[in-house]
Amino acid sequence: MSLLPLLAFAALLQQPAPRSITIDERLADAAGLAVGDRVVLGTTPGGAGDTVRIAAITRRSADPSEVARSEFRVRLHLDHLQTLSGSGDRVGRFAVQSRDGAEPSAVAARINASAFGFRAYPAAEVAIETSATFRVVNRFHRAIGVITIVASAIFLLCITLLKVDERRRDVGALRLIGMSRSSVLRAVVLEASLVSLIGSLMGAGLGWFASAVVNWYYQGVYTTPLRFAIVTPGIVLFAVLLSLALGVLAGLFAAQRLVRRAPLELIGR
Amino acid sequence: MREIVLAARDVRRDYPVAGEPVHAVRGISLDVAAGDWVAIVGPSGCGKSTLLNLLGAIDRPTTGSIAIRGRDVARMNDADATRFRLTGIGFVFQRFYLMPTLTAAENVELPMAEAKLPRAARVARARELLAYVGLGARADHRPYQLSGGEQQRVAIARALANRPALLLADEPTGELDARTGTEMIALFDRLNRDGTTIVTVTHDEELAQAARRVVHMRDGAIVDQVLRRPLADAVPAPPHAPGTAQA
Amino acid sequence: MMLRLAMATLARRRARTALTTAGVAVAAAMLLDMVMLGSGMRESFRGFIEQQGFQIRLTPRGTMPFDSEATVGGGAALVRAVATDPDVVTVAPLLGAKLFSRTPGDSVVSAFVLGLDPAVQGDYVLVEGRDLAADDELVVNASYLAATGRAVGDTVQVAAGYDAQMRRVTGARTVRIVGRARFVMLGGSERAAAMRLAAVQAMGGRDRADRLSVVLVATRPGADIESVRRRLEASDARVSALSTAAALQLVDERLGYFRQLAFILASVSLAVGFLLVTTLVTVSVNERIGEIAVMRAIGVARWRIVAQVMAEGVALSLVGATIGMGLGLVTATWLNGILAAFPGLPAAFDFFFFEPAAAFRSLGLLVLCGIAAGIWPAWRAATLPIARTLREEAVA
Repeated sequence: MSLLPLLAFAALLQQPAPRSITIDERLADAAGLAVGDRVVLGTTPGGAGDTVRIAAITRRSADPSEVARSEFRVRLHLDHLQTLSGSGDRVGRFAVQSRDGAEPSAVAARINASAFGFRAYPAAEVAIETSATFRVVNRFHRAIGVITIVASAIFLLCITLLKVDERRRDVGALRLIGMSRSSVLRAVVLEASLVSLIGSLMGAGLGWFASAVVNWYYQGVYTTPLRFAIVTPGIVLFAVLLSLALGVLAGLFAAQRLVRRAPLELIGR
Repeated sequence: MREIVLAARDVRRDYPVAGEPVHAVRGISLDVAAGDWVAIVGPSGCGKSTLLNLLGAIDRPTTGSIAIRGRDVARMNDADATRFRLTGIGFVFQRFYLMPTLTAAENVELPMAEAKLPRAARVARARELLAYVGLGARADHRPYQLSGGEQQRVAIARALANRPALLLADEPTGELDARTGTEMIALFDRLNRDGTTIVTVTHDEELAQAARRVVHMRDGAIVDQVLRRPLADAVPAPPHAPGTAQA
Repeated sequence: MMLRLAMATLARRRARTALTTAGVAVAAAMLLDMVMLGSGMRESFRGFIEQQGFQIRLTPRGTMPFDSEATVGGGAALVRAVATDPDVVTVAPLLGAKLFSRTPGDSVVSAFVLGLDPAVQGDYVLVEGRDLAADDELVVNASYLAATGRAVGDTVQVAAGYDAQMRRVTGARTVRIVGRARFVMLGGSERAAAMRLAAVQAMGGRDRADRLSVVLVATRPGADIESVRRRLEASDARVSALSTAAALQLVDERLGYFRQLAFILASVSLAVGFLLVTTLVTVSVNERIGEIAVMRAIGVARWRIVAQVMAEGVALSLVGATIGMGLGLVTATWLNGILAAFPGLPAAFDFFFFEPAAAFRSLGLLVLCGIAAGIWPAWRAATLPIARTLREEAVA
């Protein structure tokens, strides 16, 4: 019933003790309304209505299902809306709070078994249902993440290979004066790991900054306190470990190309 | 009288090193006649390589003039100097500097391709030049499949590709062992006898002894000149000399 | 010869060239995907709207088509009034409502029903059976059939209202399913049905008498749609008129996030491709600095050196872009599959839309980046001091 089209008109009608409503800030902005203003509420345009007083202006909660919705929102007392819409004693849904420690799905199952005509859902299930958009976007982001990881792995491998190639002669000379294959391998892998470690830490910093920009921008666009991008320690750890693993792999690949060649070949003789 | 192929007059070259001016070449004048072979010798850092670069239009003198076949290479702009190096001068470097991705024949063809010689003509001339330097059978080998001496022979063939007026060689035996070096000197000698005008910079006493004239440098200046084998007034080039400059 | 030299240089370091090409290919694939994503949603939606064949939508003032349960009364008069406009060719009135259907197991399934005029509708495409011919007939989608356990040809009891508590239906009637259709603007999982407008109105009793949710309007070819839209909106205070352009604008707003993401990722892809090619060509030039100095010394012109170095960059990005195009189409299909579950969008809605011109433009841009990536190393190669480089190379 909260989705019932409620059209608001600024009015100067004087009636004794009008009921109070709340409106959201978007409607307040769009219609130029403020707390204390009186408006006429009706279910049909131009039809009979009820004069009410705006008691408060609300801000949307951080609910993913509401982010992309652009309609205005008005809240009335239940009996007021039932009278206004002529829906008698009907309600759209109940919210039920369970005792501490009770298993919500078990409670829902009991309610569903004891009566018919409605269906009870645990809040978690509803949250999954209403955040479908975000789950899809999340999966999409993961896919983009996979592509990015593939691209960075190639990039890292390429750079490591170039760096190793560049010092082919130096390594050849070191091998000639007695440096072992394993020392060369260790040095190259260590260097590649350091590069990826430093790079991933810098990337985490950049990501943190980017998430701040993203949140600032989209919170403005959708007028919501919802946070769109969050950098958690877990994500940073994942990124650093993944980069490190890629760095070690790239280093190993590049190094084994180096150490399997004879020192004289390396210095180009 | 023989034609003067190269005439350098009071050539100076200064360049800054760490803010301090270095006078690498201090007023050198030198004439090289057609068919001559001049060896420039001297201690390291005396300016002989700098002089060779100036004579070859790779570098430009601070003052003075260098005329090759009457053209002042010291006053040429980059495009003209490049063109002149392509057709007028042949270079041989100490470290051969062949293109590692090309075969011996393709390396020799490179300057001819740049000079827009038709493909058939340059293929034929590359084979002819490789045969002349004794590598007729190795035309399709890549540089890494050739020995140092063989690579230097390919480099010489490349230098002769466009029939230059002057062959410049910077330490051509510097990277070769004694035996290969001797073979190389014999090749230069043959080239010179067949009419090629040569200027070499070298530390190699044997190579210097083979030249017709030895120019001694110290601190950027010529300190002595020794004429070892004077040129006959007119020695016509044999008809098959591949290195002969075009008239 | 120079081209051969450039290609030989790339072939000399095979692993490196292959990796760079792979990197460019991934960047190109990402770029293509993002270009497809950037324009895809808009084009896909435009396709739907244009497939319907109506340029203007009239809705109860202040609402979007089927965004709420709002309706407007006096439907017949409204349709007649709109039809008198000289630029209007077709008027298709629609009423959207809930439809409750009894299953063979005697449970009740709710669906969305569209009341329409089958002669002028653009909301569904018949897949099986035939179109509506009478008031007691129903065309439904596959989800409806699956949920109700019915098949085309079956008779089913439907109702306009259902009191779950009392298990009582209102406005019930028995209808026959005559066809299965794909509903253009609805999600694939949504249960949908269509009936003749009069039937849907009659089932709802007084509440729905002569009421409409949306009126679709097709204009004469060549008509100025915006002026028709303004005229229609001005003619009746109860309705808003929405043009295709405005509807697209709404889609843009709703899915703006994807366009912004596409733009950012496309830029990043270009930058990555550029960086990769620049790095490779720079290193390749550094390695061959002696060779290049010698080429200059033996008389190879500057521009030939520039051309050779740039040819490397162009070859890398061309091959990378070509591979990336195939790769991009594959990943686009994959990503499209993920986004297909996006709620509230038509089932056939494509986030990734392949438009050859846009694809070639984007890959052309990548190749341009490859050319640009070669400029700096090429210029460095062409302007290196020959004498000094040779001296330093000899020392090295």
